[in-house]
Amino acid sequence: MREDTIPHLLWRNVERYGKRVALRQKDFGVWQEISWEEFGLHVRRFCLGLISLGLKRGEHVSIFGENNPEWLYADLATQSAGAVAVGVYPTNPAKEAKYVIGHSQSVFVVCDDQEQVDKVLEVKADLPALRKIIVIDMKGLRRYRDPLILSFEEVERLGRELDQKDPELYGRLLRDLQPEDVALMVYTSGTTGPPKGAMISHTNVLNMLQALTQVLPQDEDDETVSYLPLCHVAERMMSVFVPLYVSSTVNFAESLETVQLAMREILPTIFLGVPRIWEKMLSGVIIRMKDASWLKRKIFEGFFQIGQRVTRLRLDKKPVSLGLRLLHGLGHFCLYRPLKLELGLLRARVVLSGAAPISPEVLKFFHSVGIPVLEGYGMTEQTGVACINRPDDVFLGSVGKPLPGVEIQLAEDGEILIRCPHNFVGYYRDPEATARILEGGWLHTGDVGEWDSAGSLKITDRKKEIIITSGGKNIAPSEIENRLKVSPYITQAIVIGDRRKYLTALIQIDYENVGKWAQERNIPYTTFKSLAQNPQVYELIRREVEEANKDFSSVETVKKFTLLDKELDHDDDELTATLKVRRKAIHERFGALIEAMYKG
Amino acid sequence: MKPHLQVDGVSLHFGGIEALREVSLTVGEGELLAIIGPNGAGKTSLLNCINGVYRPQEGRVLFEGNEITHLKPDHIAWMGIGRTFQNVELFRNMTVLDNLLLGRHVRFRSGLLRGGCLGYRNPEEMAHRRRVEEIIDFLEMEQWRKTLVRNLPYGVQKRVELGRALAQEPRFLLVDEPTSGMNQEETEDIVRFILDVHEEVGTSIILIEHDMGVVMDISERVCVLNFGKKIADGPPDAVQRNPEVIRAYLGEETQRA
Repeated sequence: MREDTIPHLLWRNVERYGKRVALRQKDFGVWQEISWEEFGLHVRRFCLGLISLGLKRGEHVSIFGENNPEWLYADLATQSAGAVAVGVYPTNPAKEAKYVIGHSQSVFVVCDDQEQVDKVLEVKADLPALRKIIVIDMKGLRRYRDPLILSFEEVERLGRELDQKDPELYGRLLRDLQPEDVALMVYTSGTTGPPKGAMISHTNVLNMLQALTQVLPQDEDDETVSYLPLCHVAERMMSVFVPLYVSSTVNFAESLETVQLAMREILPTIFLGVPRIWEKMLSGVIIRMKDASWLKRKIFEGFFQIGQRVTRLRLDKKPVSLGLRLLHGLGHFCLYRPLKLELGLLRARVVLSGAAPISPEVLKFFHSVGIPVLEGYGMTEQTGVACINRPDDVFLGSVGKPLPGVEIQLAEDGEILIRCPHNFVGYYRDPEATARILEGGWLHTGDVGEWDSAGSLKITDRKKEIIITSGGKNIAPSEIENRLKVSPYITQAIVIGDRRKYLTALIQIDYENVGKWAQERNIPYTTFKSLAQNPQVYELIRREVEEANKDFSSVETVKKFTLLDKELDHDDDELTATLKVRRKAIHERFGALIEAMYKG
Repeated sequence: MKPHLQVDGVSLHFGGIEALREVSLTVGEGELLAIIGPNGAGKTSLLNCINGVYRPQEGRVLFEGNEITHLKPDHIAWMGIGRTFQNVELFRNMTVLDNLLLGRHVRFRSGLLRGGCLGYRNPEEMAHRRRVEEIIDFLEMEQWRKTLVRNLPYGVQKRVELGRALAQEPRFLLVDEPTSGMNQEETEDIVRFILDVHEEVGTSIILIEHDMGVVMDISERVCVLNFGKKIADGPPDAVQRNPEVIRAYLGEETQRA
């Protein structure tokens, strides 16, 4: 059996593992299991359903919704037909969804529920290529009379009919697949311009999988919980492609809100988090500890310190004394184990952080409680991962060494250039941008980095975002921002200072945690705005900023800051779907606040 | 449209206070009727007459052709009329799941002995649990399944209450001010759920509502009460233009504002 395209991996698993669990979804309070056979059957039917609706090789199908098994069926069905699967962020407002669906010239869009359907209907006039909206959950749509709408089940039914008429058709489709065909398109989040559609081929994905599993071996007993947006290349990798490659099981929570609970029930062995998730987990622990009884707090502090000491020695590859090891063992039962269980990471063997830079402070915390989070680095344009810290070779603050087969060069200005067998095919309908980013056969990442003495790569920042103060000093704002975000009271921080005398920051408080803090002190507030404008809250944040400032040299410290009186929002264009800050929009919108910090 | 519920000349007094005077209305099968009116107009009293909490001195209430005027509330619930309350009436120290299961009480057949011996293994209990899970899914409450009701935000409590009423599998639903005390987002959520119930299950609904925007948006017919009397009944836009309604209800609003 061929194993050179993504759908072929699925069929290899169906053959090899048949009735074994491939996917699990919590439905009506019970985990429902889906075997490889069933997985295959759904993909086959949905694929043929799309074919009977007129899907042709090379056309595009957008998938617009939260993670669930149907997302995967649609993804693999599209690929089986030789078409290209395009993920759309479920949080995208109608305007951005229109851009992706329209730019990719998608002929079908698979929506998970009414919310997404409404968005597509709102902009359907601008989507001339769109032929059908296929809906997974028809709840609330009975009244809709739009001829574009069709249910997922209906498509599968069409597929079954076609299968009965022509049982060989699906096999022929698979045979026609070529490894160099484009399998999927991932739209970059677009912090600066409009998103670009990165075309990724089957070969790209398979090369990536081979390299990644060499460094982080996985097998069919591994479990993962899928919860980050599947249209992001990292999540697609971790919860679709790697599981297909190693035949492991993917679990889907009922909703985003119940992910934590699902984690505790499943105890995944593989877990990928983005910095925001790790920061949230960390602040959750800190806040809980502030509320805990005196005894619990002391136990936490004591064993946390021991964990910290052991971690430091281990990371430096120095021996750990017997006494310390005994204490650390005791800590396993008193702190590390219960905490890991609470976070759902008790069995987690491979724990990753990626997609954005994370503060070493956060990583240090997790390492100290026995959750060795490995930071990695990669780009959509090279199918996800270029560098990663190895489990036995971690350098906090670095993104580790290159994967096998990945060559990295630093340009004269420090820009990271990558050459590897999984560099992408190109941007869809944008040969100029493709030529620019792949100039000379190297992928120009736009990130600036440096090598450390041990040969690990350190990322400084995005090339465009580096601040040069009026004193001529180069400063990487993300490093400072991430340090600020370590505080449980700070959700977003935007450091400003390009061509200015000193650094300032716009800070968004964490509504939940600051709200709780205010309640405990009987500080009245009604809305986010009133909370952010409270002078005592300002004082709280001032102390947090001062604390963070201690970790930086004098020019790198934040001299003044302003609390935002609204929460930054994707809907308002201030954040991307991946919650990255759109600096330009922020600078425009809050220009007056910024100027005020440089006056007087 | 076949009448699902008929209220026929209902009057209700508390001593000398007249709460309802000869109110008549009909709700067709699968219809969504909104009742509006100023404070103290008798809206909630009317619901109380329908589901047997109050007994009107005059008039009759017919449900699916049968007179229910003098039946007990539990009997009426069993017949298929569910309701939610203006102020949340839930068991605050029980979980969402338990509150919903309690809503299925009228549908339970096995007694204390059987239930006590078999516990969760009772096939009947399992079937009910499944039904409750469907409601949790329908109202998107998965994350609060095992949370005590008192620890939930008010908007969610109202949702639980709607769920509790749905657990009864009513063919007719009385909803009393579902959006009172809610913020914009919570209001939109609950209204969407009520519409979903109406459309997916085909339940007939009487909705009492203060928020005029909501009323005009979702109801097929609006009935206006003032001082216990029905003063208008018709499609939302016609009612909105009715001079008597403007005087009684909207006019008063503007004066207050």
